[in-house]
Amino acid sequence: MELDLGFFVQQFLTGLATASTLFLLAVGLSLIFGALGIVNFAHGSFYMLGAYLLYWVARGDPEGLWWGMAVVVAIGLVLGALVERIFLRPVYPRPEHHQILLTYALLLVIEDGVKILFGSAYKSLGPPSALAMPVWILGAPFPAYYLVQILLAAAVAVLLWLFLKRTRVGLWIRAVTQDREMLEALGVPVPRLLTGVFALGIALAVLGGAATLPMQTVSPGVAVEAVISAFIVVVVGGLGSIWGSLLGAFLIGEIQAFGVMIWPEFSIAFVYLLMAVVLLVRPWGLLGRPPVVRT
Amino acid sequence: MKRLAILMLGLLGLAFAAEPIKIGALYILSGNFANYGQASKEGASLAAEEINAAGGLLGRPIELIFVDHGKPDQAVREAKRLILEEKVDFLFGIDSSSVSLAVAPVANEYKVPLIVTHAATPRLTEMCLPYVFRTSNNARMDSWAAAAFAAKKPYKRWANIGPDYEFGRVSWEDFITRLKELKPDVEAVSEQWPKFGSSDYSSYITALMRSRPEAVFSSLWGGDFVTFAKQAIPYGFFKSIKFYVNPTGGALQALEPLGKNAPEGLLVGTRYWFLYPKTEKNQAFVKKYYEKFGHYPSYNAGEAYSGLMMLAAAIKKAGSTDPDAVKAAFEADGGLKFESIEGLKWMRPADHQVFEDLVWGYTKLTPDYPFAILDPIIVVQAKDTIYPTKCAK
Repeated sequence: MELDLGFFVQQFLTGLATASTLFLLAVGLSLIFGALGIVNFAHGSFYMLGAYLLYWVARGDPEGLWWGMAVVVAIGLVLGALVERIFLRPVYPRPEHHQILLTYALLLVIEDGVKILFGSAYKSLGPPSALAMPVWILGAPFPAYYLVQILLAAAVAVLLWLFLKRTRVGLWIRAVTQDREMLEALGVPVPRLLTGVFALGIALAVLGGAATLPMQTVSPGVAVEAVISAFIVVVVGGLGSIWGSLLGAFLIGEIQAFGVMIWPEFSIAFVYLLMAVVLLVRPWGLLGRPPVVRT
Repeated sequence: MKRLAILMLGLLGLAFAAEPIKIGALYILSGNFANYGQASKEGASLAAEEINAAGGLLGRPIELIFVDHGKPDQAVREAKRLILEEKVDFLFGIDSSSVSLAVAPVANEYKVPLIVTHAATPRLTEMCLPYVFRTSNNARMDSWAAAAFAAKKPYKRWANIGPDYEFGRVSWEDFITRLKELKPDVEAVSEQWPKFGSSDYSSYITALMRSRPEAVFSSLWGGDFVTFAKQAIPYGFFKSIKFYVNPTGGALQALEPLGKNAPEGLLVGTRYWFLYPKTEKNQAFVKKYYEKFGHYPSYNAGEAYSGLMMLAAAIKKAGSTDPDAVKAAFEADGGLKFESIEGLKWMRPADHQVFEDLVWGYTKLTPDYPFAILDPIIVVQAKDTIYPTKCAK
């Protein structure tokens, strides 16, 4: 097979499209773990909920995507804040497995909830008509909507970085990861901060799920699939690290895209191989921090 | 007067006392493919309701116990529980091919007849188990029908994209082997095997297009087919090939979510199509189903309904629920012939595989339905789907 640039770029962009979905899905999981120390098993459920909410809000009109996404993200923020206040806050002092059980329970409740509200049929919404066609890049077709999705993920990454690095609240979020007590002693409203971080993490998951709807379908099984993918990304990139999520998503997306070319029969295996190698060499992930023993 | 009342009460009591015929129905009721199980459940429930409204079977009501079959190991546990604790007379249903292969030997061992209405791996009826029956056609018949269509086309460069498990593998294997027999100059240029239930087909689509096939065979079904189609359209995939054939693409579970976005001119199959045949029996069923559930019956809803009705016919013919009597009823006189909503179903005695007409057609958007329908419909005659059995008899 001759190597032509158009095809290479097409496959690279295809990998980026996969990566942007994975990044939006995983970054909130990482953010929440970094600040709250909670592994949110229900993260994929909120991602799924994002797609369902968009489907519901847009009422079958693909042109409703843009304002629909804004509405859905707002719902995600409120929902995240409520969940944190009502369910998570009481379990912070409890042992870790209580927290895991709680978020796992949320996963089950949300799955049954969407089944009751939306039924078990696949729900789908096409892309807006302006983005339904391929764009031609170096002679190779590429879905216009994927370009938007890639830009969206890039924008989220940049904004999140600016927010964490350049704002006072961002500083607090980075600090709360290190030492919650000290931050409280300095007069920072830590409980409210944690509510905010959780709400932001959930809103990102909801945004990620909603953004996939024009190119995918949603059904109650999406939640579990999604949370597994999110875990793979954070295991590779490092749980708690924003850049880790970005790197993990990028590697997995590209490995998937080019793995199909090299060895189509075992393309899925490459991703798991990467995960296994990372676990052996850097168990805390590529950009994660090795655990510190606190006294 | 008083006597009459007592007599009536007694009769009523008798009717209630009649022990129900218990049927354990295993379907996918959770996860990504739950709507398939849900449709089957609706079809089977409607059949049971009609049978019971007409006085039951052998004077006994039918009781369906629905269970989520999950993965094969879970399904085996559930089947054993149904047999040992619920003491069911029959096992019924099954959506997944892998699950059917795991449950069949268990049902057979306990001599509880299993009637499969959906799972389509040909290997199920190739096991030739005495107490296992399938009342719908299997994937081999679909693949061979697809090969017969394909052989009439001038295309030589073929490619495959199918889910990476039993059903996908066996469908392609049967298809390409058959096609090469019918048309020796065809060539398989690419095989793509995305994970079953995958949400991202993009890199498989570009890989497929790069091998420049003229025609593509695909066994992606349900949400997989929907997601694949949605991602394939903006890559210009369907325009880059001349022919696309999918034996399960005619499922309403796939056509409904695709809505008006469905690509036209795809050749798709479906084991039952709600608009065919245009018999009174079928139209009455569709009407009743639509009124009760608010949507049209999918192929596997139709198969679940027909499967239970066919089992009822066998029980009636046997005059008992004894496994050997029912087996004999299915096998006697050259195999049970049953007139279903889909048309005639014939149970081949040797391997307990049903043969029936298959419905295919080209996808077409019309103003009459919010989703693509099959137009024109192409019917493959039952006699053209018969393949040799591997069983001894």
